[in-house]
Amino acid sequence: MNFTKSLILAVSVLAIMSCQKSGPQDFALGKDQCDNCRMTITEQKYATQLITQKGRAYKFDDIMCMNMYESSNPDKATNAKTYVIDFPSGKFLEKEKATFIKGGSIKSPMGGNTQAYQDKAAAQKAAATLGASLTK
Amino acid sequence: MFRLMFLFFPVLIFSNILKVGKNEQFKTIKEAVAASKSGDSILVESGVYKEGNISITHPLSLIGIGRPVLDGEMKYEILSFRANNILLKGFRIINSGEDEIKNIGAVRLYDSHYSTIENNIFENNYFGIYVQRGYRCMIRNNKITSTRATSQEGIGDGIHAWVSEEIWIKNNYIEGHKDGIYLEKVIKSYIYRNYSKKNLRYGLHFMSSNDDVYVGNTFDNNNAGVAVMYSNNVGMVANNFINNWGDANYGLLLKDISFSKIKHNRFQSNTTAIFLDGATKIDLFKNDFEDNGWGMKINSNCMENRVINNNFINNTFDVSTSGSMTMNDFKKNFWDKYEGYDMDKDKIGDVPFHPLSLYSLLVENNPSIMLLFKTFFVDLLDKTEKIIPSLTPVNFVDEQPLMKRVSI
Repeated sequence: MNFTKSLILAVSVLAIMSCQKSGPQDFALGKDQCDNCRMTITEQKYATQLITQKGRAYKFDDIMCMNMYESSNPDKATNAKTYVIDFPSGKFLEKEKATFIKGGSIKSPMGGNTQAYQDKAAAQKAAATLGASLTK
Repeated sequence: MFRLMFLFFPVLIFSNILKVGKNEQFKTIKEAVAASKSGDSILVESGVYKEGNISITHPLSLIGIGRPVLDGEMKYEILSFRANNILLKGFRIINSGEDEIKNIGAVRLYDSHYSTIENNIFENNYFGIYVQRGYRCMIRNNKITSTRATSQEGIGDGIHAWVSEEIWIKNNYIEGHKDGIYLEKVIKSYIYRNYSKKNLRYGLHFMSSNDDVYVGNTFDNNNAGVAVMYSNNVGMVANNFINNWGDANYGLLLKDISFSKIKHNRFQSNTTAIFLDGATKIDLFKNDFEDNGWGMKINSNCMENRVINNNFINNTFDVSTSGSMTMNDFKKNFWDKYEGYDMDKDKIGDVPFHPLSLYSLLVENNPSIMLLFKTFFVDLLDKTEKIIPSLTPVNFVDEQPLMKRVSI
């Protein structure tokens, strides 16, 4: 009887633990620091996130900061998941699925000057109005 | 003497004074600007002027009498300077438009040289003053406040300078913007006696700006008092960094900077007075560190910094570091935690002082240990570590600790 009780407890604890959210974490604007340049993250729409193989999240305030971090910390970047923010909606988006536009009158915190879009047509339209160019 | 009169002669003859007001020749500033020639002065009587964007394309003096109000109605960039030698004085400039991409503000200088903005009140704007490719411009005695945003999104900087040279920013009061003063690629500039308070991000922010000096400013209750990033040769003298409290808040944040001097500053009541990350060849002389959580947090990637003649008083931790590398020079500082003696009466303690406590090292690597703060267990640890150092870097030491406080 005792054994079953502890088994149920163990299983439920495991179940709760496995329910932990594995995706990207929300940004606490004005609180979180960019892990590359140490600046406070202030603009959600340019922020990015890297989640290592082990599940630790690193936050950045600019797409460029994440790229710099990835190249200088290859141990953390291998097999990591990278997320960017879809510019119009402000929602997380996997980096591989995003279309990027760069340059023109876009100004991002660390001078990466890149916006990410989920929708390629929207990216092209935005690029035309901002004088930016598609990078991918 | 006769020649000298000739020098001023053309000015006296050809410059006019145009008046704007209800009972004057011109009813709007725009008309007066359109009718003016280079070098004219426009006097604006008090009143409220809602004229959208006023673009100035030749040298002018725009002077407010009785503080007239320029209202941007939350839609427009109020004044655009597109010429050299423009003077703006005595206005109250409120409610600028807002644009995330174009960064419009109350006053924007486009490639303007030798311009002056003084004695104005800026209220409730997105960006206060935006200088783009300025040269030898003066911004002084302005009050720049904004209450339109509570988060860091949706608000610009008080004074924002970008790709400029020799900008003088003196005696301004800035409150409630994102950064009080933001300098990006600004060189040879001078920031003197400003008061930057309650800004949502930094009081003063350097980004890739070399050869600048800031003197006698006060940074009160910002997210970080000053952030100096990716810059070289910045002089920081006689500033007050006070009340920058919070989770990730600093008095002074240094990131990838070198060849700079930090002298005669007062750091009081900050969570971390100075945070150094990738800082090299910096001289910290004669600074006061008082009542802070951490006096200095110095990452192990910092090299060849000299910390001499500073006072460390009543800080929870005087110094902490992240790794075991110590290539910085601590010398002749006053530490109130020093318990040594001075037998030869040369005012220098005879026993070296190890400023890095084991506990601070442990907290750095594992913040949750903070729970054990001021417990008997921690005292025991620190005492043991002092007698037989095992984990703290042995060469992290002040060989000549002072017995008396340094006057800064």
